[in-house]
Amino acid sequence: MTQTVYENSSLQSNLFVVWSEFKKNMKFLTAYPVIFVFWAVFPIFWFIPFILQGQAFVGGLESPSFGLVAGTEEYIPFIVIGAILNSYVNTLLYGVGESIRREVLQGTLDYVFAAPTNKVFVLIGKAISESVSSTIFATSQLALSVVLFGLDLTLGVVLPVFFIVILLIMGLYGLSLVLAAVSLMYKQSHDVSETIGYVFYVFSPVRYPIESLPSWAQVVGKLIPLTYALIIVRGIMLIGTPLSEMYFEVLMLLIIDAFLIFAGFYMFNWMEDKTKRSGTISHF
Amino acid sequence: MEKTEKNKLRQINCPSGYSWANLKAELRAIWEGNVKAWKIDFAYPVSFIRQLISPVVFMLPYLLYGLVLIGGRYSENLASLVGTGDAVAFIFTGYIMMGFIGTAVWAMGFSMRREQWFGTLEAIYVTPASRLGQVLGMAVHSTIHQGMGTLMQFLFIYFTFGLTMNISGILPALGIFALMMFALYGFGIVIAALSLILKEGWIVSDSFYSVMSILSPVAYPLTVLPTLAQQASAIFPTTPALIGMRTFLITDYVPEVVGNVFLHLVILCGVWILFGVFIFHITDKYVRKKGMLKKF
Repeated sequence: MTQTVYENSSLQSNLFVVWSEFKKNMKFLTAYPVIFVFWAVFPIFWFIPFILQGQAFVGGLESPSFGLVAGTEEYIPFIVIGAILNSYVNTLLYGVGESIRREVLQGTLDYVFAAPTNKVFVLIGKAISESVSSTIFATSQLALSVVLFGLDLTLGVVLPVFFIVILLIMGLYGLSLVLAAVSLMYKQSHDVSETIGYVFYVFSPVRYPIESLPSWAQVVGKLIPLTYALIIVRGIMLIGTPLSEMYFEVLMLLIIDAFLIFAGFYMFNWMEDKTKRSGTISHF
Repeated sequence: MEKTEKNKLRQINCPSGYSWANLKAELRAIWEGNVKAWKIDFAYPVSFIRQLISPVVFMLPYLLYGLVLIGGRYSENLASLVGTGDAVAFIFTGYIMMGFIGTAVWAMGFSMRREQWFGTLEAIYVTPASRLGQVLGMAVHSTIHQGMGTLMQFLFIYFTFGLTMNISGILPALGIFALMMFALYGFGIVIAALSLILKEGWIVSDSFYSVMSILSPVAYPLTVLPTLAQQASAIFPTTPALIGMRTFLITDYVPEVVGNVFLHLVILCGVWILFGVFIFHITDKYVRKKGMLKKF
């Protein structure tokens, strides 16, 4: 007598789906070791020009005018933290948002949709695998930055920073669910992901403090979860502000997360139903 | 008799060898490659518009970060290094090159790989035309496309920050730009050849792009780099081109490296184009011999 997964309780079955999807994606990742090494190391090269630009423009490692706006005169750790947190946006938005599209291209979406399971759990499995891989890459980049740029990292800040990273990931899950929903219906979600990536890159304080933007752009920036995550993490790591003193930013991040997750689940279920009715699941 | 007539009907006159007719035919093939790429672009208008504004989006962080760092537009330290402290003019003249590096590394480098994804690479390989035509067709398309992006950057900078440039330097700067593009085409051909062998060639492209963007004096003068990196940057056409163009376009700019940029670029043109064509032909023969065209 063999027991299939469908005979188990609903929760167990759903967890099994999440676990299987997670394992599948991790197998994909480890099947290409060069790609793995690339993401663990190469993003550092993308922010090196900003560090060199800083040295050319101010002639040292600190800028008093930068300190007036950013709260810290040291621009190198500011840039490093911005780049590492932004790497979560790159992997989660493009990774999860386009995962549905990837299943279409691989010819496996029909089978995924025919499986007797809630598709949201498939996406949760994809999102968790992307988060784990993003965290591995971010940790590697952080370790390299500590060695190369002398980034000061103490154990005391690791826990609150990890907590904020989880909150950021939750918000990005919601957004990537919206993108997956768009991908189901309109197939080419790439442009939407790219455009959202642009908005994050320009309006969030990834490379510069949000205060340097015009006031209307600051309003846009304050609707983005990455903005709050960056403000909090820089506050903890660079200025030494305790997490409890940044309760407003944490609260804002939680509110945005809740909204995005709700919108993501609602849109994905709606679009799934719509595509099933219209019979366009396997369309390219 | 009847059989011979039928064969004649099927016969197509293809010019070959080093003749004027063949050159015309190859140029036509390059042009058609360019037209095809534009048709694909216009088929996705949203994507086209996004790509048009992306040069501005990616330039903005360099500008805003630079302005916050120095607390204004003028950098004393930059002026001590290159004679001019105008950060906006310096970043703009440097950043316009980034898009053209992308032209060589991404557009040309991936032209063959893209055909493979579309499932049309074999069809292109059996046409009686040089395979390089496909790469060069994409080069024409992406140069025009990037030119439009650069115009967007210029308009944005001009209307947002204002830009003072030496008008009389535009013509020699364009000459330098043309030489740089020819050398970059050679570089792009090398990447295209590599993408035929290395199926995950985007890693090669991205690696080259990252290294070139660090070694080229885009947002900082060359003197900021360590000596070894400064010497290594001389093999990329963007380095002499940026120094030369800034010399002609920015008043008071003092080139960080003394030398004849025209001669440097002419040598790089010859070397990169010859090297590119040589590598492409070797790779082309190799992948056909090994039957690798269909492999993903």
